[in-house]
Amino acid sequence: MSVVDTPSAPPAPQPPAPAPAGRTGSKRRSATSGGFAPLALTLPALLLLAGLLGYPLIRMIVLSFQSLGLRQLFADLAPDNVGFANYAKIFTNSTFYEVVARTVAFTVVSVLLTLVLGLGVALLMRRVAPSVRIAMIIAMMFVWAVPQLVATQTFRWLVDSDFGVLNYLIDRLPGVDFANHSWFADPIQGWAVITTIVVWAGIPFIAITLNAGLTQVPKELLEAAVVDGASAWQVLRSVTLPILKPLLVIVTTLSVIWNFGLFTQVYVVRNGRPEDEYQVLATWAYSTAFKNNNYGLGSAIAVVTVLLLLGVMAFYMRQMFKIGDVD
Amino acid sequence: MVATAPQTAVRKRRRRPARESDTPTVGRSRGGTVLANTVGVLFAIVMFFPVYWVINTAFKPAPEILQFEPTFFPHTFTLDNFKSAFNAPFFQQDLLNGVLVTSGAVLGALLVGFLAALAIARFRFYGRKAIILVVLSVQMVPFVAILIPLFLMLQKADLTNSLLGITLVYIVLILPYTVWTLRGFIQAIPRELDEAALIDGASRFQVFWKIILPLTGPGLVATSVYGFIQAWNEFIIINTLNDQAHQNLMAWLLQNQTSRGTFWGPLMAGSILTALPVVIFFLIVQRNIATGLTAGAVKG
Amino acid sequence: MNQRSPLTPYLISFRRNSVKRRIAVAATLAATLIGAAACGSNSDSSDTPNAAASVNGAGKTIKVWLMVDAQSGWPEVVKQANDRFTQATGAQVQVDYQQWTDHLAKLDTTLAGSDVPDVVELGNTEMPKYVFNGAFAPLDKGQFENSAEWLTGLSAPCELDGKTYCVPYYAGARVLIYRTDLFDKAGLKAPKTYDDLVAAAKTLKEKNGSDKQFSAFYMPGKYWYAAMAWVHGNGGTIAKKDGDKWVGTLSEPGAQQGLTKWAEIAKTYSSGDPTKDENDQDAVYAQGKSGMIYGNGWELGAVQEQPKDPNDPASAKVKTKVNGKVATAPLPGIPSFLGGSDVAVTAKSKNADLAAKWAQIFTDAKSQEGLIAKGVLPNATSLLDKAAAVKGNEATAQAAKETWFVPMAPKWSDVESANVLQNMLVSIATGKATVPDAAKAADAKINEILNAS
Repeated sequence: MSVVDTPSAPPAPQPPAPAPAGRTGSKRRSATSGGFAPLALTLPALLLLAGLLGYPLIRMIVLSFQSLGLRQLFADLAPDNVGFANYAKIFTNSTFYEVVARTVAFTVVSVLLTLVLGLGVALLMRRVAPSVRIAMIIAMMFVWAVPQLVATQTFRWLVDSDFGVLNYLIDRLPGVDFANHSWFADPIQGWAVITTIVVWAGIPFIAITLNAGLTQVPKELLEAAVVDGASAWQVLRSVTLPILKPLLVIVTTLSVIWNFGLFTQVYVVRNGRPEDEYQVLATWAYSTAFKNNNYGLGSAIAVVTVLLLLGVMAFYMRQMFKIGDVD
Repeated sequence: MVATAPQTAVRKRRRRPARESDTPTVGRSRGGTVLANTVGVLFAIVMFFPVYWVINTAFKPAPEILQFEPTFFPHTFTLDNFKSAFNAPFFQQDLLNGVLVTSGAVLGALLVGFLAALAIARFRFYGRKAIILVVLSVQMVPFVAILIPLFLMLQKADLTNSLLGITLVYIVLILPYTVWTLRGFIQAIPRELDEAALIDGASRFQVFWKIILPLTGPGLVATSVYGFIQAWNEFIIINTLNDQAHQNLMAWLLQNQTSRGTFWGPLMAGSILTALPVVIFFLIVQRNIATGLTAGAVKG
Repeated sequence: MNQRSPLTPYLISFRRNSVKRRIAVAATLAATLIGAAACGSNSDSSDTPNAAASVNGAGKTIKVWLMVDAQSGWPEVVKQANDRFTQATGAQVQVDYQQWTDHLAKLDTTLAGSDVPDVVELGNTEMPKYVFNGAFAPLDKGQFENSAEWLTGLSAPCELDGKTYCVPYYAGARVLIYRTDLFDKAGLKAPKTYDDLVAAAKTLKEKNGSDKQFSAFYMPGKYWYAAMAWVHGNGGTIAKKDGDKWVGTLSEPGAQQGLTKWAEIAKTYSSGDPTKDENDQDAVYAQGKSGMIYGNGWELGAVQEQPKDPNDPASAKVKTKVNGKVATAPLPGIPSFLGGSDVAVTAKSKNADLAAKWAQIFTDAKSQEGLIAKGVLPNATSLLDKAAAVKGNEATAQAAKETWFVPMAPKWSDVESANVLQNMLVSIATGKATVPDAAKAADAKINEILNAS
């Protein structure tokens, strides 16, 4: 989700602790001796999560079967129950399918781009002179640290049709007229800009993570492959990538979850009022609820969004359980 | 501060006996290296350019910002935009709010999260797996999705337009992450240490106080910094739930998009002021991020 | 919070009490009688806030939400009204300034709670939705100065079922802003007819067209107040009421003609971004590369000089490239949209009487005079001639005499927030859709939104 900024990447799983057979007994002993302590310790956290996340989630589901507008809100009236009317409205609306398709397309393209470019940069970092590597790391650290909102405002400024530097630079090219060029008139170009913001901000996380991962690739293995006459591409495919795979799976899943919930970039770049061709699920739910004051319908869209994400989330969780020591 | 990142990188490199020759030489050639270096430099420039452009804009006077032919460095260097942002309505108020809300959320999440992490890391109990599942899954829920009920709920409790309400929300925002990270740090402490202390007659509380807490110190610092960044950068929830007098600096930045055009100068200067603490904190802990993120997954 | 001696306001109100009480008693009586009659239909309707009630406001503070325009354009007017209010009631005023971009979402969330502002300013097109949804308390129209001569464009959105829920605050009309130097050089005069205007745009384009950034008439694609003015100028409307249903009428011949003429300006004579709105048109115009724009009266000043610190309207002004080279004229054949604002007392206000009193002072003739001096239009027809006498205001006051307004449908602001008109205009201006197709699509959306249950 866009609210969760990139630096907040949950720590990747640690390897399953190789449990020597002899220690299982002692583990069990300390485990049972806790009594009510563990429950008491987790209680405050659980209460907070239940109150401010669990309850709103349930309320969201309830609300998606209701009609709630300004009139009820202002007068503190109870919302009307409308059954599946909100869902019917969504699923019979062609806009919904367009928005879902757009969200999915964006997610696929942006995640692929971030991954490929991030991997490319990580590999490049192992080939360049140390001074260049440092320059790359400094640049990426800054980009990584820039808050999402600031990054988006920055790009909005770069691509401004009248005062933006991008049009100015492109316009310098001989034979190109980019003066006052609108980057958002054509949704393909507009989405290119949005994707660029997301990819630009996403590369550092992937590149630095994968670069750190690459340091773990045993160089004997690579050397052996080279001696055996493997091409660079073969080495990448048969040696490097398989070793990076667990890491790649996690960063891919995380990127999918983040990018599927795209909000900030669209919302800010389109001045808080995205046009039809710029709506994605999160902005559509938000606009429906908070701009058109149709809170029930907005909730229904949000529920559908979460449901669509559920598959990816389940996969992520399975991975965490599989390679993490979440025994 | 800024130098932290490269330094660690340099240190890491220097630890190796030889510099370049020992890296695997896959398809290496002199021409290839020159090409790689050129691409690397270009990449760094392209990546950094937007950041540079923020700085460049922030130090220009208004007429120089709004002209069809942009200047690539400030022809007239001015601090006016920073003064304007700092004295703008609600900037100082929102700065204070941000500090209060963020530190409140970090402390709250740390306190509550540490207890839960301790339980998950050190005890096996009925429902442990379920709790881990909850912790892992809630951080996947798009917060925009629950914005509507959250708003309705807090508004009923008179917690909209209040710092307390948003602090509670932010605690929950960073709690799953906090629990999950601290759990890792606690697990890294050998259990034998606990057991030895227990055999020596220490109480569970003493084990916690004398062994676990000191050893998780660095982890607590790193976790709180992540939490800080996350809460500091948040603006969608606070912008929806609270009025200007109860927002943070991120939400304040949005106020520069006005019906009389965007105030680019103050916006860019304000962006620098707002992002600065994040950048500094981030650079301090970046090493933990890179190592912490990958240590396990690759070896495993 | 209140640093004044708690006794001061009390003493002030004590001294005036004898006269005030008598008036108050009469007013309360009248209000009760009227209220009793009016309340018959609506059982839970609370008392109409009484601006004439004698309330000792000492120690109380009312919260007022005004839009930024007051902060940047006429802070003195707000201050004198607050001072007079404090003097009359002893209560203090806390003014929060809102941004147009997100104030409605903010208002919705706030009004849903219990800690609400007492007085709220809304744009006149935004008002019906809130009036209709019960956000505001009914007011006693007779207690407000010049209420018989209020500009209809401002007061009509306040009316529902024979009650008045808000008070006109100020109005604005849009005019043609043109470059006198470019006009002189090309031997042109301020256009008298619409054909003159197009001819002038053509000449300017011929003379200056070698510069690819030059716009003879800068027209941002999302500027729907402009485009709809063209629609109304050609006999069209946006929507009309047919029985109890609303019908979008942009596909009707007049409207289509207006849209086609507007598109000619936007596509042929404007080189600007067809997806931008009008928010930064003054900054663009100030670059000296546009011949004409369509703007509010105050934009004449905004294009010529800009405050050094945009966050501080009182800071030193910086002259732009077009300083001293611009003038205004009514746009011939194109009626102006009558924009403006109203103030209303919230239904949940705990200080409704005080709030009504503040609204009364803030919109009275004295406050209006202050507004006129700042180049905006007053809330009443009886004051328009005064406004026309202010230098630089003539064209705007003239334009205010022939105006149009958005459909008075309760859901109209949903059409605005769903960007229906902007999206239609962008698709026309970028050439993605023809005028008939775009208008047809917009009509369908308007029908859907205005008739939604």
